[in-house]
Amino acid sequence: MSQMRLSFLLPLVAFGILALVGGMALYGTLSGSRDPTQLPSVFVDKAAPQTNLPRLVQTGSAAGNNISVTMFQGQPVLVNFFASWCAPCRAEAPALEMLSKRVAILGIAYKDRAEDTTAFLQQYGNPFQAIGMDADGRTGIEWGVYGVPETYLLDANGVVKLRHAGPLTRGVLEATIFPALEALGS
Amino acid sequence: MMTTTALWRNQIIIGLALVNMAIGILSISTISTPAHAITAEEMLANPELEERARNLSKQLRCLVCQNQSIDDSDADLARDLRREVRSQISAGTSDDAIIDQLRAKYGDYVLLNPPLDQATLFLWLAPLGFILLGGAIVVMARRQRGAAIANELDAAERARIEKMLASRDSENGPKT
Repeated sequence: MSQMRLSFLLPLVAFGILALVGGMALYGTLSGSRDPTQLPSVFVDKAAPQTNLPRLVQTGSAAGNNISVTMFQGQPVLVNFFASWCAPCRAEAPALEMLSKRVAILGIAYKDRAEDTTAFLQQYGNPFQAIGMDADGRTGIEWGVYGVPETYLLDANGVVKLRHAGPLTRGVLEATIFPALEALGS
Repeated sequence: MMTTTALWRNQIIIGLALVNMAIGILSISTISTPAHAITAEEMLANPELEERARNLSKQLRCLVCQNQSIDDSDADLARDLRREVRSQISAGTSDDAIIDQLRAKYGDYVLLNPPLDQATLFLWLAPLGFILLGGAIVVMARRQRGAAIANELDAAERARIEKMLASRDSENGPKT
């Protein structure tokens, strides 16, 4: 008799555990504490990829014609992948403008034409200290970029501290970017 | 002592066990739809290398799609990744090295088949576990049913019951 009770209870217990796990995952998603579209970047706490791109504005001197991440060695830097054809990039322009007062921002124009990028910056403002042109998107692949806009925060040693895929909204700034900047003393 | 409720109980157990096994089997099988996004100008001239590129592309996730390989997807990122795979193959990089490079940039998520390691052990073994669990439940339920049938009255018990029934009938027998 006790064996029969066990075999009757076993599937119920198994179902209960499954329901509990599933329910917890669903609750986490619905309550916003877990966003399934935000996957952690493999670069977090690793050195940012070597990056060497032609500048949007050519300076004329051979040394100054390219941008790299090492240009910002010794200070935290925000690396922002954007494009003139990207609507959420327009939406995050004010946020970048605000951030540019706190931290250096390196812009990487992803699969964009120089004249379009220039027009975009004229219309929505230019928060960038320097802009590199990733015309074929190869640098994006190097960084593991899914799509624009995407933002990485690097510490003074060029180590990636944070990555955010998608536009920088007020909520994102307050929840992730500002605390990360404060942790870097910026 | 096999009552109707016990029979029902058995039916429920077997039903749950079958559901359990179905979950296991479903999670093993994968459904794939043939669709090709690749364009002619992307292809490599050497058919052998192109074959390798196609093979690799089918294992790599289009990261901005829902469960599509970069071979199947029309998305920009998928096209860029296909181009990356082909340029690496043309440069003489091995398949494993190409996969490792993409994993270093996009993480395990870029692989449509998650690698078998400590973090994914449960994922890989769970279907097998469900099938075993379901099988065990079916076996247990059948055994009980067999035991219930074996539990019939023997001749002595039958005789006792006959006697009890007879004595009851004589006590409360129909009044004449």
